[in-house]
Amino acid sequence: MAASPFASRSPSVAVASPNTLRLRATAAQDSAGGVLASKSVSNTDQELTEQLNDDVRHKYIKDKKLGEGTYAVVFLGHLRDDPSSFVAIKKVKVNAEYKDGLTMDAIREVKYLQELSHPNIIALHDVFSSKDQNLSLVLEFLPRGDLEMLIKDGDIQYGVADVKAWMGMLARGVWFCHENFVLHRDIKPNNLLIASDGEVKLADFGLARSFADPYLNMTHQVITRWYRPPELLYGARQYSGAVDVWSMGMVFAELLLRVPFVAGNTDLDQLSKICEAFGTPTEENWPGVTQLPNYIPTDRTQLVPVQGRDFFLRQFPTAGPVGADLMMSMCALDPRKRHTALQVLRHNWWMIDPQPTRNEDLPRKSGAKKMGEDMGRRGGEIDDGPFKNAARQLDFGAKK
Amino acid sequence: MASKNGIDRRDEDEVCPVCKSSRYLNPNMRFLINPECYHKMCESCVDRIFSSGPSSCPVAGCRKTLRKARFRAQTFEDIGVEREVDIRRRVMHILNRREEEFDSKRAYDDFLEQREEMIANLVHRTDVAKTEAQLQKYASVNIQSIRANQAIEEQEASSFAARMTQEQEEARLRRQAAREQLENERREMQAGREDMISRLAAGSSADAAAIAREGHKVLLKKSSARRSEEDRIRQKQAALRGSETKRGGSSLTTADTAGPSDGGLIKGLRRIKTPEPEKPYDPFMGYVPEKRDYYALQPSYPSTYLDRVKNDTRTAAGGYDLQEYYSRTLVEAFAGLGCFIGEEVAQREAATSGLGLKPAATTSAAMAAGDES
Repeated sequence: MAASPFASRSPSVAVASPNTLRLRATAAQDSAGGVLASKSVSNTDQELTEQLNDDVRHKYIKDKKLGEGTYAVVFLGHLRDDPSSFVAIKKVKVNAEYKDGLTMDAIREVKYLQELSHPNIIALHDVFSSKDQNLSLVLEFLPRGDLEMLIKDGDIQYGVADVKAWMGMLARGVWFCHENFVLHRDIKPNNLLIASDGEVKLADFGLARSFADPYLNMTHQVITRWYRPPELLYGARQYSGAVDVWSMGMVFAELLLRVPFVAGNTDLDQLSKICEAFGTPTEENWPGVTQLPNYIPTDRTQLVPVQGRDFFLRQFPTAGPVGADLMMSMCALDPRKRHTALQVLRHNWWMIDPQPTRNEDLPRKSGAKKMGEDMGRRGGEIDDGPFKNAARQLDFGAKK
Repeated sequence: MASKNGIDRRDEDEVCPVCKSSRYLNPNMRFLINPECYHKMCESCVDRIFSSGPSSCPVAGCRKTLRKARFRAQTFEDIGVEREVDIRRRVMHILNRREEEFDSKRAYDDFLEQREEMIANLVHRTDVAKTEAQLQKYASVNIQSIRANQAIEEQEASSFAARMTQEQEEARLRRQAAREQLENERREMQAGREDMISRLAAGSSADAAAIAREGHKVLLKKSSARRSEEDRIRQKQAALRGSETKRGGSSLTTADTAGPSDGGLIKGLRRIKTPEPEKPYDPFMGYVPEKRDYYALQPSYPSTYLDRVKNDTRTAAGGYDLQEYYSRTLVEAFAGLGCFIGEEVAQREAATSGLGLKPAATTSAAMAAGDES
């Protein structure tokens, strides 16, 4: 990694970069001959923030609604200058819970996405606030759905070469996050979006945070349950990138099996399923596990020994012996014994045959749009406009 | 035999210039020529003179040595045309580049012109030696692509012939089907009418109208059913034909052996792109892991502040690694060294000046750079 991981890219965050504004203000002041009194600076400052925000906002045109989540609405948009350059505009809802400010999710997403610029991480182009003080994130538009759709679609067939390509992209994205000391904390097929060129990109940084601070407790209530590692289920408050690697291992297993590998109904169920599948954590195979806050001792009679290579080879025959070895290293119970994202990328599996499929040859879902998936509506159809019953207008922007 | 030649049919008293025997005496007389000198003579003269091996042409003043094997019947009455066609065939056989092998239409046209010029040279006996030498050289250098293109031409010709016969066969079948249909229709109509008449004869006069209406309806129904059946068959055939032609078209590919060494005769040939050998997969896609320019990471740093973490098994059991803290601290301490914003901004502005989505940081970074300088 370069010595300056954060200097690679920094989109203008109009609402959240007072530094820039101050600079702009100073510049304006200088150009005016420095005659402005210090009292009027704050006034100018105010106007400049608004002006800067308007500049960013007017760069984009919002087209149509693509989908709606719990905390945001996603619109398709494009640059004012270039109608063919699509972006996704994520407008954060004003949440009843956070009356005096923004939701944590939005803050986290802006905070970490603006620092990370990598082909396998969704790009944040701009941030602006709208008239009603809502925050809008201008994100890369990823039209080809997500990995979950591909896994669930029985009509799509894919092989181990395709899995290798997808896992490679996922591992690179995760590695880049960790290299910049950011934990994603919500890796699941649903959050792995596919760009128009087939590249898989890590999205939804609503749970991301930076890590490695000593004495700073982190919450263990993160990561969707099926992808949550045992240390979080045991309530660990100090953890590392190993949590994301476990999720990666689960995604790997799901890609191969096409069903979630360990799918518990509750946190306890999840834990017992993990124990059944991979073995019961004990002081021998995971020193210190008994001291974790939510550790539940298991009966001596029900102990499952830690699974060896044979188990993984039997469970994932398509991955081959080397792939099974990689899977085993990603699913180690003890987070210290688990491979890091860097070690995962250095594994021999990437080098052996079959070679990963090239992006353009990867299987794709036809005509699906993840960002508008939950709308269940055909392109160009807008039914909540003011002219609801009028003849449908032709929308040339929808078909590229 | 003579009728096949067509040309010597008209004059009954044609005379062989060598043996002076006329068609009157020998009705089966056939004239042959040799492409060496194109002098005409009758078949029996060829047998007589050249059976015992190569000999010189018996025509006075022509001293060309001829072989029996190369004698053949004349196609065109005008011996000049015959000769030109022969030359043309030979040259086209060698210079058989195809349009898709050229960079542009212009290059292909230039090639066609060049070929015509060479043919004209040979026909009119100007620069014969030079042209022949060129042809020889080209043929020897490009033997492979010539062969490949010949194969393609043959394939095209044969597929064209196959298509023609197929179309003829289809037309024949169609005609036959139409004939049968007509016959069927006629027979049905007849049967229907007879049926109606017999029913009318059997039934009372009251329901005569009803029977007549019914009979008419049945006929209509039958004809509409037939029509839809016909449509279906026609569609099927059309689909079949479509797939046939597609298959025929896709099997043709051009010779890919042009390369730079075509003897320098033809210009504007498309460069053959040899596909680049695939590079081994790079799991990092160009990013360099663990690149540290300014420092080396130690396994441990003495600090009383961190001692408590170091010895806490619970923290360690959760997967927390102090190494990551060291690494992060050092990265953050050295971040920004060796970054020259001024340079980066200039680069970015040059790169994104025409592009759509430009990294929006330009303004702020430029401002920062201005502040720095």
